Amino acid sequence: MKKIEAIVQPFKLNDVKEALKNIGIDGMTVIEVRGHGRQKGHKEVYRGQEYQVDLLPKVKFEMVVPDNRVDEVLDAITNAARTGKIGDGKIFVYEALEAVRIRNGDRGESAV
Amino acid sequence: MTDTAIREQFFAARDPFAALAARTAYIDGILRQHWQRMPAGIALVAVGGYGRGEMFPASDVDLLILTPDEKAQAAIGEPLAPVLSALWDEKLRISQSVRTPAECNRIEESNAELAVSLLDRRFLAGDEALFQQIRDPRPELGRNIAKLTHERHAMYQNTLYHLEPNVKDAPGGLRDLQVIRWLAKLGAVASEIPEGVEVLFEIRCFLHYLAGRDDNKLTFGRQDEIAGLLEASSPEEMMRRYYRAVRGIARLARRRLDRFEARRSGLLSRFLDSTARLSTADFSVAHGEVFLRSSAAAGDWNSVMQLFAFMARHGLPLAAATEERLERGPVEPTGPVWTVFRGVLRAPHAAMALRAMHSTGVLESIFPELREIEALVIRDFYHRYTVDEHTLVAIGKVIGLREGQDTPFCDLARETQDFDLLLVALLFHDVGKAGDEESHVHSSRRIGEGALARLGVSERARAVVAFLIEAHLEMSLAMSGRDLDDPLVIHAMAGRTGTVERLKLLTLLTWGDISAVHPEAMTEWRRGLLWKLYTATYAELTRELTDRAHARDVDEWTAAEQNFLEGLPPRYLRVHTREEIQEHVRLEEKSRIGNIAVTLLRRQGWQLTVVGHDKAFLFASIAAAISSFGFNILRAEAFSNAHGTVVDTFAFADPGRALELNPGEMEKLVRTVTRAARGEVSAADLLKRRARVKPDPLALSLARVRFDNQTSTTATLIHLVAQDRPGLLYDVASLISQRGGNIEVVLVDTEARKAIDVFYVTRQGAKLSDDYAAVLCDAMAQLLVPPKG
Repeated sequence: MKKIEAIVQPFKLNDVKEALKNIGIDGMTVIEVRGHGRQKGHKEVYRGQEYQVDLLPKVKFEMVVPDNRVDEVLDAITNAARTGKIGDGKIFVYEALEAVRIRNGDRGESAV
Repeated sequence: MTDTAIREQFFAARDPFAALAARTAYIDGILRQHWQRMPAGIALVAVGGYGRGEMFPASDVDLLILTPDEKAQAAIGEPLAPVLSALWDEKLRISQSVRTPAECNRIEESNAELAVSLLDRRFLAGDEALFQQIRDPRPELGRNIAKLTHERHAMYQNTLYHLEPNVKDAPGGLRDLQVIRWLAKLGAVASEIPEGVEVLFEIRCFLHYLAGRDDNKLTFGRQDEIAGLLEASSPEEMMRRYYRAVRGIARLARRRLDRFEARRSGLLSRFLDSTARLSTADFSVAHGEVFLRSSAAAGDWNSVMQLFAFMARHGLPLAAATEERLERGPVEPTGPVWTVFRGVLRAPHAAMALRAMHSTGVLESIFPELREIEALVIRDFYHRYTVDEHTLVAIGKVIGLREGQDTPFCDLARETQDFDLLLVALLFHDVGKAGDEESHVHSSRRIGEGALARLGVSERARAVVAFLIEAHLEMSLAMSGRDLDDPLVIHAMAGRTGTVERLKLLTLLTWGDISAVHPEAMTEWRRGLLWKLYTATYAELTRELTDRAHARDVDEWTAAEQNFLEGLPPRYLRVHTREEIQEHVRLEEKSRIGNIAVTLLRRQGWQLTVVGHDKAFLFASIAAAISSFGFNILRAEAFSNAHGTVVDTFAFADPGRALELNPGEMEKLVRTVTRAARGEVSAADLLKRRARVKPDPLALSLARVRFDNQTSTTATLIHLVAQDRPGLLYDVASLISQRGGNIEVVLVDTEARKAIDVFYVTRQGAKLSDDYAAVLCDAMAQLLVPPKG
């Protein structure tokens, strides 16, 4: 099993969710986050005053999927979240050691 | 009767009180039987809900075990353990404490909850003499009850109208009914029970039976199940019965609590007593609450509205008795309803007054349309309150912004004109949810417009409200579904809002609407997105000022009008009606003789329009002429078209009502402005007769001047934020002119005594150089520093 974390632009939330649903991935966690990668922040001007925006709003998807579905999920997220511009986001994949469904104690892939 | 039989009988007959009594008797029997194994000299006492004889199916069995002294406490551990185990085996959830009567009698300071539970004590078994040693708690316990109640209500955001309420602990729930009974006991008065409370008992019994545990949350799923079991026509109908019941309980509880809290001493009560001097012929103020003096006044529309206007000004709540009196007799609105209602909206405590108007039904006699959303449950994943409560929370949140400092939205709320119209838009923004149309937006707008038309609200005000309702979801949608870095998205939002004024209103409405979904809905994250959308759209609307307008439908305009419009920015078209533009064209024709044409109109305050050929010092001279009469310039705009014709409009206030009272003054003002504009009289001379006003020390920290050479391709933008003072506009404008700058476009807004000015300046037909602009800004900054002394 792999845990996938995808950080994408806020306005891509629904597109990514739909894309995952279309390939049968329903279970996911979505978190409102703020941060920056190499994009850093930028300067904005309001009423003539400049101010630095350091942390940009993003959304983070988290899900755990069986090994054989990882590539499919990465493609779905990438295609749905891409605009081609700086700030489109990143995806990280981790090894997930175990999964337990709390309600009935199911373990492993059947629990995700 | 066995536990199963009690349950079956309840499901068949739905008599909750019989079920509670039967369960109490059933548990009494079990306890007394097991208690026979206990040694003599101790007593078993039922407390809490069990003591009252109200055992809900899955409630804890609260027990107090009394021993004569502490030595005996240690000794009963051994015989007690098997008895408790046996009770657990009988599936009773026992919650017991072991104390001496002395402990019970002194405990209230450290553990108010125990003292409260003792109010419902009932002797069960053992040594009755020990039980008799417990004394009734002192009436001061009422204060502890008040504190606990306020804390509990705060956990539920102090509102009754949760979509999925906790029927025990939420405001107006069963716990509040106990509060009424406890306070009655402490005050030795008869306990009143509001009408319709049985439904709460029924619902809680069903909740416990269905869940098999002490679960008091009436979720959507349980609403469906229980509405079926209660044979209600729909879950919504059952919920309306629920809200009616909790409203009655909450009101009575508040009245009882107020009575205890009124006994407080010290500063607060002295302050509250000092408000008594605010009393009038129709109503009196006592203990910081407003009462109607006579029942006749409750039937008189004007007295009732005066009462709410008073509340809105002073922030004093309605006394419960007056609230009930108003609720009993609805009054028919008469006279200038809109003017009076608007007065309420413009007062600092409008949110409190609106809430009271809603709970007494007075708001609904003005706007019967709002009855449709009263206690209306619309189920969705995010909303936590009924539609009417969501509406009032949103209004409260937006009004609260005006007092706040912590977010930039607070500044927006203070600067915004038409704040009252924003509140009206919020009042109606979700009213269409009661209908069965797929989207409530259009029906909300239609209903809102209809209501305002009925009250004779001006076309302009109606248009603002209609726009806000119609667009109320658009900023949230853009925040969640659009790329805010995409210029096309921002351009579209600028087009939708049209002017900075409308953008501000819509931003605030969106802020209030999101904040009122549930207490955590307005996250830092969402605030950031909304602010970004606001600032980007603001920048776009400001940038457009040097764009050329495109008359939308060319055929619609005459050749003369098209010629006049050439080169004016889109804002000009958006802020002026066709009639105004035609008037400007007429003025332009008139100005060909004498170079200048001036009109003065009374339209939401005074408005002076000057059309003429642009020349140096023109704008500054007009500003000086207006200020010289002692009028406050609220807003000003200056645009010029491609032929060098300028249209300068000034909205100003006349605090001394000089123009209204002396018609001759109007003519004099027009004459002075004309002469100043022609340069026949010096602006400096005009202003000599005005005394300088000493500015606020805050002015220095607030003042800001910045230039921007990026935004516009043709002019340098100078932004100025400063504390407003008489003559400021003249000083700034004449400085620009003195330094050889030509003012192309001006937008001035002085809401909240803060001047926010944008000047588009050129010099010899081009942008200023960075160095030159920097020098000019420094000189302007000097003007904003308060003079010494």
